[in-house]
Amino acid sequence: MSAPEPTPPPDGPAQQATPVEAVTPVEPVTRENPSPTTGSAEPGAPAQSGGPAGGGGPAEPGVPAEGGGPGGLGGLGRLVLAAGAAVVLAGAVVVYLLITRAGGPPPPPGPGPDGGARPGAGGASLRVLSNGVLSAVPLQRPDGPRTLTAQRCDRAYAAAGTIGCLRPVDPLGGTRLAVLDRDLRERRSIPLTGFPNRLRVSASGRMVAWTLFVDGHSYAASGYSTRAGILDTRTGALAGSLEEFALTVDGRPYRAADVNVWGVTFAGDDNRFYATMSTGGHRYLVEGDFTARTLRTVADRVECPSLSPDGTRIAFKAAVGGDPARGWRLSVMDVATGEVLALAETRSVDDQAAWLDDRTLAYGLQRSDGVNDVWAVPADGTGRPRLLVPGANSPSVEAPPGGP
Amino acid sequence: MFRRTTGITAVLAAAGLVAGTVVAVVGDATVASAATTVAATADTYVDDSATGTNHGTSGQLGVDGSPVKRMFLRFDVSGVSGTVTAAKLRVHTDDVSGAESGSGGTFRAMSTTTWSETGVTWNNQPAIDGATLGSIGSVTRNAWYEVDVTAHVKGNGAYSFGVTSSSTDGADFDARETGSTAPQLVITTGSTTPPPSGDPVLVGAGDIANSGSGDTATANLLDGIPGTVFTTGDDAYNNGSASDFANYYAPTWGRHRSRTRPVPGNHEYNTSGASGYYGYFGAAAGDPSKGYYSYDLGNWHVVALNSNCSAIGGCGAGSAQERWLRSDLAAAGKPCTIAYWHHPRFTSGANHAPYTAVGPLVQALYDYNAEVIVTGHNHHYERFAPINPAGQLDNARGIRHFVVGTGGAGFYGFGTILANSQVRNNNTFGVIKFTLHSSGYTWQFVPQAGKSFTDGGTTACH
Repeated sequence: MSAPEPTPPPDGPAQQATPVEAVTPVEPVTRENPSPTTGSAEPGAPAQSGGPAGGGGPAEPGVPAEGGGPGGLGGLGRLVLAAGAAVVLAGAVVVYLLITRAGGPPPPPGPGPDGGARPGAGGASLRVLSNGVLSAVPLQRPDGPRTLTAQRCDRAYAAAGTIGCLRPVDPLGGTRLAVLDRDLRERRSIPLTGFPNRLRVSASGRMVAWTLFVDGHSYAASGYSTRAGILDTRTGALAGSLEEFALTVDGRPYRAADVNVWGVTFAGDDNRFYATMSTGGHRYLVEGDFTARTLRTVADRVECPSLSPDGTRIAFKAAVGGDPARGWRLSVMDVATGEVLALAETRSVDDQAAWLDDRTLAYGLQRSDGVNDVWAVPADGTGRPRLLVPGANSPSVEAPPGGP
Repeated sequence: MFRRTTGITAVLAAAGLVAGTVVAVVGDATVASAATTVAATADTYVDDSATGTNHGTSGQLGVDGSPVKRMFLRFDVSGVSGTVTAAKLRVHTDDVSGAESGSGGTFRAMSTTTWSETGVTWNNQPAIDGATLGSIGSVTRNAWYEVDVTAHVKGNGAYSFGVTSSSTDGADFDARETGSTAPQLVITTGSTTPPPSGDPVLVGAGDIANSGSGDTATANLLDGIPGTVFTTGDDAYNNGSASDFANYYAPTWGRHRSRTRPVPGNHEYNTSGASGYYGYFGAAAGDPSKGYYSYDLGNWHVVALNSNCSAIGGCGAGSAQERWLRSDLAAAGKPCTIAYWHHPRFTSGANHAPYTAVGPLVQALYDYNAEVIVTGHNHHYERFAPINPAGQLDNARGIRHFVVGTGGAGFYGFGTILANSQVRNNNTFGVIKFTLHSSGYTWQFVPQAGKSFTDGGTTACH
């Protein structure tokens, strides 16, 4: 704020620039419950009532899913996709150029009444999306000032100076994977088809993996179809669909038309990864090898895995009672023992959680009005959820340049 | 007057929005008035020395001339009945050194009410484009101040205020995050408006009947609402077949078939030619080769369109449906127009993107000054401000778009929230009821039994 000049407090009604009916000051109104409005929950506040599942998921566990799921634009509607795709892609290029021109590093923040840490001002940042706008808040003060960029993403994830961004989907289901560097310069752009859903960057910043819905839009319904891919940003090697990898189920080679893969998380060697693979009513945790192009099942009923920084645990969403239509419980599995722990978050979490450190998980939850919040919960089953970043989703930790 | 209002408010305060009625004796006449206090639902400030920074979660609001800081406040007013006789915007200065200032800022109305508290920065700040409502002079720390905003606040709805200052000595106010000293709006109302007349009612929803129980809940609502029933498609899952209509739609919404004017969704066209749909509704659904038709209710022209474009030769400019629509609107001769179909031109839904193919139909309706468009497809409720065919706020000629996919099928999530989206909900089945006045309309979202979400308002015809 500007330097306040010592001003003697006024005795009577203030001087007014325009005619107003002002009482200066007036008696404060006493209100019994002063902060009931949406989004006003403070960090550490108890869980909001009525919070539905995360974006794209069932809004309420227990609500019967629509039989067969929505058919996208419908059988007939899909026929027009091919014809219109070229036109829309041309339009997307124009949009991209505009976005790039408007982009660039955020301007240096100035002083404000908040003071304190700034994104990129030495400490680590928490990268989030603020209603589709790539943003950052100080990791140590996630409710502090938020830096917004000109980058628009439906899903984002940052690690070690690499920012993955799935661009907003167009009416025909087209999107692009944009790989940005720390200064928000776009280094790679890969056109994709489907609705952005999951996105991960390996801890080194080298590997990027994405998941799109190509048919249907909800893991709770039947009849959906996903496509997951991986890009090695160092070599340019691209696996467009992990369904093409050689798959073994319980040690035996396996092929089936109903195989879907989603929710990739990378190990520290930038080659091994975990993901979800569904077939025949099972939702398996699979371990993959990018170079060998293989997938093998490790466990059942494990969705959207997220490997801890130390590589010892996998956070995931566990279908309540084994039935995705009832929602998901955020859980953690010990990689060595297979032991599963349910976390203190009891609301249905339809997200691929992100590890803030080896003890804490962050994830998005959507309110019934469509506004998302990032919450955090201890990874050991203790404590309770706390609101980390209001009005945001898609969290990830970005260390400062030269940092770890 | 003010002190009485505050007293009542204090006694009845609860949950941030309170309404109380007090009867005061003024001379010999008895005058009823009620006061409602509404806490801000969003507040933030922008700062030209940190142009990409959002301060939406801060407990403080700054207004300053150097560096330039501007405050933005939004209030969602609901539950107010009667004529608004006074509205006061109240803000409280921080209890910190430096909060005081020679100027508390100039308060202006804003036309846009859909800015995001955690998304507004100096770079993308909404325009402070409305009338100047008042100013606050010198402020001290830790004190309440108020501005008369009666000129802007007319009843239920969302209201935005922008605050600027040319003083180089900034003032700091408490944000809503502080709780008890959050910005607030104190609304006083006079006599109650007369009860609704016998205007025609149009009530309905889309995405309705499947093996679940949501359609049972919404059909029960229709039992208590007279008038014409409409659907916005995906009436019977999963394929709109004759058996889907017999098994799912007929036992619930089917008991209102004789007063229903439907449209087909994509699921109806899962059955070839949507023959199950046209067979079930018969003549009420129009020509099966078209699926679009119109009718009149009172002073209103009602247009039912078919957004399954590829099934009927397209929706583009020059298509049979678009040409029919333009001639139908030209011949209608009614002062007000409402239209409905399945695929939304504008939606913040995560599952189905905005459907641009229906753009030419939206353009035709805009060209003929229509008031309302209702769609479904995404399974939730969303209401937009009056917007032009490009989705931009247009309070003069804009069409208010509703997505009402709340007829009973399982809910969908929201994605990126579009500009000018005013209200959203995805945990409540329900129907929307339009009361079609002679020169305006009242909408009301009626929730399933046991749910509390609702939405409502009144807008004049163009």
